[in-house]
Amino acid sequence: MPPKPHRVLLDRVSGYADEAAAYMRRRRASRRLFARLYYEGGGAEDHATDSRAGGELFVSAGRLIELAGKRPKS
Amino acid sequence: MPDEDTGDAVSSEAAEGALAYLTEMSADLRGAAIVGSDGAVLAASGDAGRWAEDVATLFATADQAGGEPVEQIHLGTEQGEVFALRHAGLAAVAVTERFALASLTFFDLRALLRDLAAGTPQSTFAVPEDGKSPTRRSRGRE
Repeated sequence: MPPKPHRVLLDRVSGYADEAAAYMRRRRASRRLFARLYYEGGGAEDHATDSRAGGELFVSAGRLIELAGKRPKS
Repeated sequence: MPDEDTGDAVSSEAAEGALAYLTEMSADLRGAAIVGSDGAVLAASGDAGRWAEDVATLFATADQAGGEPVEQIHLGTEQGEVFALRHAGLAAVAVTERFALASLTFFDLRALLRDLAAGTPQSTFAVPEDGKSPTRRSRGRE
């Protein structure tokens, strides 16, 4: 028996909503800031954005990124 | 740092050549600088004075954050990524597009500093025997 027309519509709308939610999740993950420091002994540290050290590192990074500018189109 | 400090022995010409080569080879690179052990910029893409100041600030902040000298720094922001590396008394900092391949970027920076310290810059990448310029490395994901 074919599905009722309103079910088809609901499925389609919920499909679009799932796609949009997945897109937003991916976008959030790709925009997440990170600060990783590596030490000579092989150790590494992750600094959160809301920590003092993390905040200072991101300020430094921002200055360098601004200084480097955009890559010229070749 | 156990690496022998050779930061003072590297000439600006050699550093500039190595930086130009790195810039040509790395598709994601926006700008970079090579700094000697005394903090002086040996080569930079842009304002050397500002690079010297900002690189010194970055390493000072990172050293303070962990309580010991860092070897590598990797920072990711929405606007781009920053890679910094110390080797043999030299330091290299590169700013790239977002999602640059971290392991390759660090490999390139380390090889660049190692070659500079050894006095053999620009030998980081294999150049084709036919004499044509090497092809630019493609991005990890397009």
